[in-house]
Amino acid sequence: MSNLNARLAMRSLKRDLRAADVRALFVALMLAVAASTMIAFFLDRLDRGLERQASQMLGGDLVLEQRDPFSEDLRTQLEDAGFTLSDQVDLVSMISRGDRFQPASLKAVDDVYPHYGASQVDIGEGTEPIASGPAPGEAWADPRLAQLVDIGIGDRVQVGQTELTISGIIEREADQSGGFGSFNPRLMLNTADLDATGLVQEGSRVEFEILAAGPPQALDNVQALLDELRREGVEVSDVRVDQPQLGNALQRAESYLGLAGLAAVLLAGVAVAMSTRRYVERHLDTAALLRCFGASQRQLVIIFSLQLLGLALIASLIGAALGLAGQALLLWLLANFLPMTLPPPGIMPLGLGVLTALSVLVGFAGPTLLRIRRVSALKVLRRELDPLPPSAWLVVSVASLVFGGLLWLYSGSLPLALALLVGGAALLGVLWGVSALLLSGVLRGVQSLSGKGPWSQALRLGGRQLGRRRQAGLGQLMAFSVTFFAMAMIVLVRGDLLNTWQDQLPADTPNYFAINIQPSEREAFENTIDPHAEAQSALYPMVRGRVIAINDQDPREAVRPDARGDNSLRRELNLTWQAEVPEGNEIVAGEWFANNDESADTQQGWMSEVAATPKAAPVPISMEDGLAERLGLTLGDQMTFAVGSDEITTEITSLRNLNWDTFRPNFFIIFPPDVLESFGHSYITAFYLPEEEQSLVNQLVRDFPGVSLLNVEAILGQVRDVLAQVTRAIELVLVLVLLAGVSVLYAALTASRPVRAHESGLLRVFGAGQTMISRVQGAEFALLGLASGLLGAALAELATAVLYLYLLDLPPRLHLELWFLLPLGGALLIGIIGHSLSRSLRQQASAASLGLLGEA
Amino acid sequence: MLHAERLTKSVTSGERTLTILHDLSLSVAAGESVAILGKSGAGKSTLLGLLAGLDTPTDGELSLFGHPLSRLDEDGRASLRAGRVGFVFQNFQLLPTLSALENVLLPLELSPRAGETDTAAQWLDRVGLGERQNHLPKQLSGGEQQRVAIARAFVSDPELVFADEPTGNLDPDTGGQIIDLLFSLNQEAGTTLILVTHDHALASRCDRCLRLIDGHLAAFDPRSLVSDEAPS
Ligand SMILES: Nc1ncnc2c1ncn2[C@@H]1O[C@H](COP(=O)(O)OP(=O)(O)OP(=O)(O)O)[C@@H](O)[C@H]1O
Ligand SMILES: [Mg+2]
Repeated sequence: MSNLNARLAMRSLKRDLRAADVRALFVALMLAVAASTMIAFFLDRLDRGLERQASQMLGGDLVLEQRDPFSEDLRTQLEDAGFTLSDQVDLVSMISRGDRFQPASLKAVDDVYPHYGASQVDIGEGTEPIASGPAPGEAWADPRLAQLVDIGIGDRVQVGQTELTISGIIEREADQSGGFGSFNPRLMLNTADLDATGLVQEGSRVEFEILAAGPPQALDNVQALLDELRREGVEVSDVRVDQPQLGNALQRAESYLGLAGLAAVLLAGVAVAMSTRRYVERHLDTAALLRCFGASQRQLVIIFSLQLLGLALIASLIGAALGLAGQALLLWLLANFLPMTLPPPGIMPLGLGVLTALSVLVGFAGPTLLRIRRVSALKVLRRELDPLPPSAWLVVSVASLVFGGLLWLYSGSLPLALALLVGGAALLGVLWGVSALLLSGVLRGVQSLSGKGPWSQALRLGGRQLGRRRQAGLGQLMAFSVTFFAMAMIVLVRGDLLNTWQDQLPADTPNYFAINIQPSEREAFENTIDPHAEAQSALYPMVRGRVIAINDQDPREAVRPDARGDNSLRRELNLTWQAEVPEGNEIVAGEWFANNDESADTQQGWMSEVAATPKAAPVPISMEDGLAERLGLTLGDQMTFAVGSDEITTEITSLRNLNWDTFRPNFFIIFPPDVLESFGHSYITAFYLPEEEQSLVNQLVRDFPGVSLLNVEAILGQVRDVLAQVTRAIELVLVLVLLAGVSVLYAALTASRPVRAHESGLLRVFGAGQTMISRVQGAEFALLGLASGLLGAALAELATAVLYLYLLDLPPRLHLELWFLLPLGGALLIGIIGHSLSRSLRQQASAASLGLLGEA
Repeated sequence: MLHAERLTKSVTSGERTLTILHDLSLSVAAGESVAILGKSGAGKSTLLGLLAGLDTPTDGELSLFGHPLSRLDEDGRASLRAGRVGFVFQNFQLLPTLSALENVLLPLELSPRAGETDTAAQWLDRVGLGERQNHLPKQLSGGEQQRVAIARAFVSDPELVFADEPTGNLDPDTGGQIIDLLFSLNQEAGTTLILVTHDHALASRCDRCLRLIDGHLAAFDPRSLVSDEAPS
């Protein structure tokens, strides 16, 4: 039975593909799938790539770290769970060559190292990727160490009680494990040589690590074991928990991409709803006839659903192919900026695409399609007997429900989906009102045109036609204005916003950062730049420290769940000490360290206590208010830092607000003086070097090889590049959104076909020529485009004003070019597209006029 | 075959109630051909719709193939029709997206005899359109379209064929050919035929002629020239 229905459905579908509504439906579904799969493919690859990168950076999928060697028993347990293990030992020790001594951070790796990726090493033939560590008896030095002790490939260095041959200069390590000594230069050696060095002894500060690589279920297998290890004080890094967060720009781009993709899906849905209406109307006769021949209501639904389903399937396949091509393009656009090569596209997004197409079909076409079952067989005898169209409420509710489901599916969060749905509906409501006002205004303006020329006549007539299809016109106006708005925003963000922000920075804003100035170089460095540099900031001492406890708890457990992955908890922080509140900082809560004479005693008090028993009274610190907010900490909370080999417990006694765009060294955490001085530290400063003094840079590089100079303009240039690439990717998606908007236009045109043919027929009967009819149609769409452009410009102006006020703290400025370009461009674009889409209609007009004459 | 008793059909438009058919009774025996004549607006199509179970009467009893229709819902009446009732309409009612052959195949697809393409092709042959199987309706003339419709009406070997002014949209010559075809096929198949027309010549070829006036049916001899309407 269903077999024959399928045959019947496919047979008529084949022929139906020529009908405008079926084509509109097809194109809309295809666009919905193309947009959603393109983004899904891309994000899927990106996410999997990042996961792999995370494992690579971590050194494995699971990393265990403790001060003592790990037991054989634990090893067996991990291997049984499905992990491959790699051993690593990290320690800081003095290395020497001749009379040069240098503390270095040693990393001893075994033959399994690295689990993922490769290190960039120069073993004599330029830097190349090498997926192993140094062989026994050999060691690799990083460039800084090579320079500090003046060694090259082939030289021998003393490490503890043994000598190793430098066989490579390591530019970048495959992983970032064992990074605690990152302040000291790196020497990588083989674990086989460790015993010979005699450095691993009771009491020496050594960290033993197990880097484990394995499939996700291996991680699942050992969760209980990991909890136990954590309780025993083992530092456990699980790639799924410690996955680094995406860069901010990339993360925003991800959510913009997702949103834009869903906007395209929504628009396509609207187009599907419109064309289904016409499709059903066109097939009511067929349905009545089938009913007459004995088809049941169920059969009718099956036949027509199968037809649309077949259509959706073909559209999904083509859409998915387009999506696949689109994501390749997207990838290419973002290539320089993606930190890695991505794994090949998976199959999952394809399923997502088909699911999207089916959902859009069910949600936006379903209620309208069901109308077909209510057709009366009597219609074959009495043509005017049409079933009532489904209520607008039903159509809108079903569509919202399904779209809400899609939002949920794509965002992965129900509250977010609901918020987007409700917020979006409210916004659309407001937009609807504004659009209605604007459209009336434009139409009234057009009607008052007094010109007698053919163009003003065409505009008047076109305006009247647009006015007659007010509801559909409003829908299209909203679709196009939002698309234009998004496009304008992209261009503005890329150009105007960044420029304006940069322009408002004072001319002497520091353009160089100097970091890693050793205490011994401090004075010489200051003396060198002083005569040349302007607006130099103070030199801030910098000590690296890692947060190891918050309020005596594991930091990850002490903070809000969403802050667990915060960079400040995963990396070492730059700590400084200051007696006075630094320039550009403002205390917003608590008190700055009491540093006046009266309190000298008390200060001395906790100082001596710290010196005596490190666990005693906590050291007061000042925290940046943004970080405090992110971690959910406030005044009185305690933080314990590991600095060097010590632990320092602190208490937040003040919160600071600071202006990040001053381009001065800024610190999340500031200690009072006399606490950190005894630890290894270096200095950081920022200064402005005028154009004519640039030659100083070369001198600095030569005289202070250990100091790194960062050029702010170069960094800003990078930001600009990233922005350009990200926005280009979003533009690509917006083009799809625009196309979805055009599919709405096409569907609306299709739906209004009979009425339009009638209108044009009338115009013709009243003496309008083909040219005139063509002009009137062009004018109608141009007016629609004009209104959309105006609304788009208004929205963009509003949004930039908000950005100016709240993000840049600048008075908003008017963008006159927007008000000129968007309406004009919109009128041209929509005018031309609409005009060419309605060409076949104009050909129908002559037939319709004959019909009208026949009736008369 | 078909039995109607005291059928009444009234429709309300706005506040006025219009009674189209009033206490109308009719019995049609198997194999009989019956013509129903009447002025335009007399209610012929309405009656046909009731008899075929496309519509429900306001009052009265109707049974088709021995099944009282009042006990069946729309789907029940539809499945009663499937494969057993054929239709020929004034405006042909071919599906524009299907070829001639596919149009003829349509009633078979909805009956247990799905897929009998050969049967459909034979019927197209019999109405003289064997060469035009793959043409779409709009590529056929009005007369040719009506032939396809006739082939479609007979393809499922129906017991009963309804025809609503089958020549209404055709010129007299073509109309004549269509009538000849309709009656010859009807005779060959021994089908019951209920034909609505205002063409006296057409009506006179039926076994029995009835006339619809003021909502009632009256026996009528089409050869009598006592007529208030000129043959078309
Ligand atoms: N659902 C309805 N609502 C209002 N009026 C109706 C309805 N159904 C039928 N009528 C009216 O009943 C009358 C009979 O209609 P019907 O179509 O049966 O006439 P007919 O005899 O077939 O006419 P023709 O020869 O023109 O086809 C007409 O006046 C028609 O307008
Ligand atoms: Mg009629």
